[in-house]
Amino acid sequence: MSALPIVFGAPALLFGLAALPIIWWLLRLTPPRPRTEIFPPLRILARVLKKEETPSRSPWWLTALRLLIAALIVIALAQPVMNPREIRISDAGPLVIVMDNGWSTADDWQDRLSVAAELIDDAEAQNVPVSIVFTAEEGHDATLDTAARARERLQAIAPRPLHGDHNAAVAAVLTALQETPTGTLAALSSGLSAGDADAAWQSLIARAPRDVLVFDNETTQIIALASANNEANGFSITAERRDDDHAETHFVTANDAQGRPIANGQLRFEAGATTGTALFDVPFELRNEFASVSVDGIANAGARYLLDESARRRRVGLLSAEPLDLSQPLLSPLYYLTRALEPFADLMVPEQPELSGAIRELVEQRPSVIVMADIGTVPEDVEETLSGWIDRGGLLLRFAGPRLAGGDSGNPFVPVDLRRGERALGGALSWSEPQPLAAFSESGAFAGMSRPDDVTVNRQVLAEPSPDLGSRTWASLADGTPLVTSRAFGDGRIVLFHVTAEATWSNLPISGHFVEMLRRSILLSRSTVGQQGVADEVVLPPHRLLSASGSVTTPSGAVQPLKIVSGTLPPVSFDNPPGLYGTESGFVALNLMADDDTLIPFELPEFSGPVVHSEYVRSSSVDLAPYLLTAAMLLLLADTLIVLFMSGALSRLTMRRAHTAAGTLLIGFVLVFATTIEPARAADEKPGDADILASLDRTHLAYVITGDQRTDRTSRQGLNGMTRFLTYRTSLEPGEPVGVDIETDPLALYSMLYWPITVNAEPPSREAISRVDAFMKNGGTVLFDTRDALAGLGQAGVVSPETARLRAILAELDVPALEPVPQDHVLTKAFYILNEFPGRYRGSPLWVEALMDSENPDNRPARGGDGVSSIIITGNDLAGAWAIDDNNIPVYPTVPPDPVQREHAFRSGVNIMMYMLTGNYKADQVHVPALLERLGQ
Amino acid sequence: MAAIGQATEAVSTPSALARARQRAAYVPDLLVEARRVANTVIAGWHGRRKRGIGENFWQFRPYVEGESLSRIDWRRSARDDNTYVRDREWEAAHTVWLWGDASASMLFQSTLAPVSKQSRALVILLALAEILARSGERIASPGVLDPVAARNAAERLAAAIELHRDRAVFPDVSQINRHSDLVLISDFLDPAEEVLEKLAPIAKRGIRGHVLEICDPVEEVFPYRGRTEFVDPEDGGKLTAGRAESLHEEYRRTYLARRENIADSLRRLGWNFVTHHTDQPASTALVALHTHLSGVPNGGAREVTP
Repeated sequence: MSALPIVFGAPALLFGLAALPIIWWLLRLTPPRPRTEIFPPLRILARVLKKEETPSRSPWWLTALRLLIAALIVIALAQPVMNPREIRISDAGPLVIVMDNGWSTADDWQDRLSVAAELIDDAEAQNVPVSIVFTAEEGHDATLDTAARARERLQAIAPRPLHGDHNAAVAAVLTALQETPTGTLAALSSGLSAGDADAAWQSLIARAPRDVLVFDNETTQIIALASANNEANGFSITAERRDDDHAETHFVTANDAQGRPIANGQLRFEAGATTGTALFDVPFELRNEFASVSVDGIANAGARYLLDESARRRRVGLLSAEPLDLSQPLLSPLYYLTRALEPFADLMVPEQPELSGAIRELVEQRPSVIVMADIGTVPEDVEETLSGWIDRGGLLLRFAGPRLAGGDSGNPFVPVDLRRGERALGGALSWSEPQPLAAFSESGAFAGMSRPDDVTVNRQVLAEPSPDLGSRTWASLADGTPLVTSRAFGDGRIVLFHVTAEATWSNLPISGHFVEMLRRSILLSRSTVGQQGVADEVVLPPHRLLSASGSVTTPSGAVQPLKIVSGTLPPVSFDNPPGLYGTESGFVALNLMADDDTLIPFELPEFSGPVVHSEYVRSSSVDLAPYLLTAAMLLLLADTLIVLFMSGALSRLTMRRAHTAAGTLLIGFVLVFATTIEPARAADEKPGDADILASLDRTHLAYVITGDQRTDRTSRQGLNGMTRFLTYRTSLEPGEPVGVDIETDPLALYSMLYWPITVNAEPPSREAISRVDAFMKNGGTVLFDTRDALAGLGQAGVVSPETARLRAILAELDVPALEPVPQDHVLTKAFYILNEFPGRYRGSPLWVEALMDSENPDNRPARGGDGVSSIIITGNDLAGAWAIDDNNIPVYPTVPPDPVQREHAFRSGVNIMMYMLTGNYKADQVHVPALLERLGQ
Repeated sequence: MAAIGQATEAVSTPSALARARQRAAYVPDLLVEARRVANTVIAGWHGRRKRGIGENFWQFRPYVEGESLSRIDWRRSARDDNTYVRDREWEAAHTVWLWGDASASMLFQSTLAPVSKQSRALVILLALAEILARSGERIASPGVLDPVAARNAAERLAAAIELHRDRAVFPDVSQINRHSDLVLISDFLDPAEEVLEKLAPIAKRGIRGHVLEICDPVEEVFPYRGRTEFVDPEDGGKLTAGRAESLHEEYRRTYLARRENIADSLRRLGWNFVTHHTDQPASTALVALHTHLSGVPNGGAREVTP
């Protein structure tokens, strides 16, 4: 090797450099030197001669640049290689590569790949066949084949989140090689020995390979998380490592389901120990959110531990004899329970009101805990259901109360036998004082909690004395009577608080200890209580899978459903890689490491021949040709730019066309924006928008089109007259009256609908009436006019057809109580002071919504009530009185014919409009004289 | 092959003056046509063939009442009963502004021409000055020489030009009065629009202009062949033509079109436009200019009124 660590693959091509002088000469060779002529009318000539030619002679540095480009290309073609690699394999026989692609190879997979690729390259150079086998692949195909084929297979391989199987891999090699003598054996180890493969390796080495190459990364520590437990004092992690030489500390992070880090901890390995632990000391609520735990800075499947629901929040079903009364929540036991449990449990309240159905419903949802607040006896038909659920691990948490106290003894779902009736402490007829709590029992779930000083118990249910009462007691009162008792029941447990869950019997539910006691009780429960009679074999589809690099991915096609036989998870395999199996709502985590797995360093059995150990180091040999060619290409680009610049093309472009170009650019941008933004607008126009917009700018009086032409014409003429009158007399200047079809037209645009009732038309449809109902509920007012004031001729009890029709309509509407306009109603003073509201007829009262506060305590002259009456009913045919024709002449005479009555009809209309538009404002305005008088003082 | 054209040294004014004197000797005294000359107080030597201020007798005419009594010629009036007034012929000197282009392009001389354009322009300029001075006209050059009426005006103009050698730009002509004559000698190789842009405002001011375009025959004939690099003597711009002969026809058309354009436009302004090739004798140009200055109607658009 020469002084420079560069060798050429095709050094003969370097003779091409000798051509450089010729290239130089060719570059210098330019078109014949033009005759230079002084020519004053050059500007005239310039018009004729459009094309300019480049100056004949290129500057020397440009020539040098071009020569450099040529030289670079020649050198690149000669295939220079820096730091050339030496061939390490023997040419005596085939190359055997046993390559680990288990989980621990993911970190430095690229290095491993390059090492393997180099070995294959060497094999190709030595012209020996290659047998390459991967330990974590299915089938362990070790067929002896060409180097090219081996390279193809290598490129298709990725690390898998599995343990490699050396035994099967080496066996496959032995089968493939048959009797062929081995040339080189290369073991690309992951650093871990997987399974007991010594015998297999022995038999492979016994084939006496010429060279044995072992690649290992002994300096890199391998860590795998082995288990995770959500314990009472924190979330603990155990991890395994390969080398136990010295103590080390890693940081671990807990992530939630979205992958966000939510807690950090330290994983400590003591010197000499392969097992380390970490503890996340975070609140229980946060621990419930953990979805996976990973070691920081290590990207492989072993450094991530997936968690399933067994580490999750408990589901708690709530049962109470009393429904949660929202109007008096502080008297409901469920209120306290909900408030106390919400932070750390998912609460379920049954839909069914009836107790047995509710219990069945809850048990079907498989909660961890069922809380019963003062339920005396469990119905017999669900006793079995409930006891079966507790037997399978359910926690029944009960609270006493009057019902439990009055229940029969021999209740199966209490931890201790209870005496009938409750014991009252304190009170008028008792000598005893309300009792405080004693210190918590050291053996119960509340062990370690401090004694609450402020809790006193007034009333409790008492346990029958029994020998094991003490052991079942978790908490007791100062006088020794048990307050909380518990009993194991099958796999489950029953806990009884001898007081109520609300604050009637004691003030325990409003103390902080209540929350803590509940929390500890619930921590005892299992996360999910399995169903009885579960099939021996459960098959779960893959939900999320762990990739070899430790990331969570969606499952690919090759993964098989996970079969859980009698509750035990199968080991990780090619068909079942680590991941979450199940569905979104419920899944089981299959992790790489089982609890008792350890990491054992890989050792090749003793071997007489030479063994070369090496690390995975990427070869530093660099093929220089691509770089040289890239440099040549860049220089060529530079040369092009220089030539363009020298010919003035660029400057002409910038100088002469600067503003033109800017303008073009601007136009271009505008066009681009115009074309891109335009289609982005959603077309939200709807038919009829124009009409709606036209009617929005002014207030319009509106009438209901009944379908009877005469009535409709009268309505239009009447509202026309009313519109004119309003315009003349008031500051309200309505637009043209609008006829509204209540079946289809939008009603929200109008504040008032005038609805003349006629029997000549079809009654409105149910949908139309419900639209009117919505219109009234949303603040609109409907003015019904039956126009039948004279129909009954004053006879009581006669119902005119119009009134009957109106009643039919109102029966469908949600109409509040009505009353004739009282004398102090704001309607009588909204604009004019009116005593009655006549139309064409006089005599029918005007009905409005009854004002709730009928008494008028402060003697106010007007009452407005809140809001505006949504319904006004008259029989006086207002529109008939208002109706004018095109010549402003009234169309119909009043009955009796009296111009004053017509004037009053108009005034009634004005008052109604003002009332509708201003609401109870006028009720305040009538105080103005009094206010002014007061201000004057 | 030697270059066809070359840039010559600027010819010195004394030698040009000598040659100019020679040329001028051929040309008769120049009586500048001054039809619409305003009343001017400066007396000149030209009889204007109309009454006015002057020294020579023009006519006797009857005295009109209101005229100054002192103007009555009593000698003539004594002859008969009428009273006569002696009118004198109006004699007025005229100012002729002369300007010759001295830009670098004027220094061009081709093998087809005996002298450079600048040399020819200077000779014509000075010869014209000599002739005009001989005729008693006032001579001036914008930016170079203020109006002067002297017999040695040509020498003074030559001296002034010698002093203002470096002027190359178009002169400031704001000091020229209306009714003056302006003689411009240049090659007018700028685009026709630029030339007219300069000249049109002057013509609008009522100055009569006489434009002499001097061109080298090479500029018109374009005898170049083969690969030729053309260099502009003024700004050094370069153009390389691969085959110059191929441009011949088109160039000629453009060149002549430019000349026609300028000539037409100037004639429309009432100015005269004369083209002179340097391979012709200077006298031809001189005679042509002289003719125009005299107002002889053989080339100018303007009719001469007696």
